[in-house]
Amino acid sequence: MAGGSSGTRSGFYAGGHVWVPMEEVIRPGAVDDDRLDRSRRVEWLDIDAVIEARVLMAGAGALGNEVAKNLALSGFRDIRIVDMDRIVGSNLNRCMFFNSDDASTRRLKAEVLADRVNTLCGDARATGIVRRVEEIPAEEFDAADIVIGCLDNIAARAYVNAATYAAGKLYVDGGMDGLIGKVMIVRPPNGACLACGMNRSHSRVADVRFSCTGSEVTFHEPRLAAEVTTTSVIGAVIVREAVKHVSGRSDLLLSNLFYYDGSRNRSEELEIEMNPDCAVHRERQATGIRNP
Amino acid sequence: MPFRIRVKNAETGASVEMELENDNTVDEVIESAATFWRKDMGAYVVRRGKKVLRGSTSLTEAGIREDDVLELVPDPEGG
Repeated sequence: MAGGSSGTRSGFYAGGHVWVPMEEVIRPGAVDDDRLDRSRRVEWLDIDAVIEARVLMAGAGALGNEVAKNLALSGFRDIRIVDMDRIVGSNLNRCMFFNSDDASTRRLKAEVLADRVNTLCGDARATGIVRRVEEIPAEEFDAADIVIGCLDNIAARAYVNAATYAAGKLYVDGGMDGLIGKVMIVRPPNGACLACGMNRSHSRVADVRFSCTGSEVTFHEPRLAAEVTTTSVIGAVIVREAVKHVSGRSDLLLSNLFYYDGSRNRSEELEIEMNPDCAVHRERQATGIRNP
Repeated sequence: MPFRIRVKNAETGASVEMELENDNTVDEVIESAATFWRKDMGAYVVRRGKKVLRGSTSLTEAGIREDDVLELVPDPEGG
């Protein structure tokens, strides 16, 4: 049959080497067969770039579920999902891709999330990577077009922030606590990174989360308030920024901290300045990289 | 020379006056306010207007003056 489902260009090679275009062929109703047709109608959205982009997602919890769903429905196909945790019952009030069977059998979050994303969008190629975030090899960051943080602790955030900055990739980090949420955009080599916005309270929290006894390291995971509507808002903002970035519309990106207070349904944009003395920028200077 | 500022609690809307010296740091403002309001162990930042202030800077460096209003804001950690 000539033409594509939505009317693509077709033709033939005359004499085996000269491409002769044929008239475009359209079919009534074809636009409704294209699952991304409505996305293509957003003027600045480059859906082909979205389809081609590789996303590295760190964390497959509540925010990871929401972000993965938004990524897949937005057209992202190459999604790498890193998490080492297993699903438990208390995840189920905010994780749309997990169910009680997953929880009772303690399935691995990264694997289940990747499977379910691939079921949601048959042409998606989500891959679950079961390992600690701190063990993500540098090549994963290098190969990504964008890195998204859906993490639940400061130490992991600090690691992903530093690795992403070193790779020179855009990092979009989300965080939530009850009805409060935030999204920070890190755009190396310019501007602030996550570490630039951290202070002594972050260090103290990170220290308390890890306690070392001899060779053993225990991670104290806090039981934070969490509910799905905050997750939805923050997950939506994260993926909106990802779509802008891969569509070449970095001029539309947040600059640089989105803050959301769900109790009043208020949001605003705050600014974190680059700190040349933060751990990441200090390290860069020490290795001879000049900070802007 | 001591001076006073007002610190607001973003979570409750409450505020408190704080007496400070120029060489006090933003970190100290965060710790004093979080202790005063018996905040849970967590990460916080202080903002003035739209700008998040750097923890290690002194109040002079941050340009904080008498009667300024700062806001203590939780930095959410969960995902």
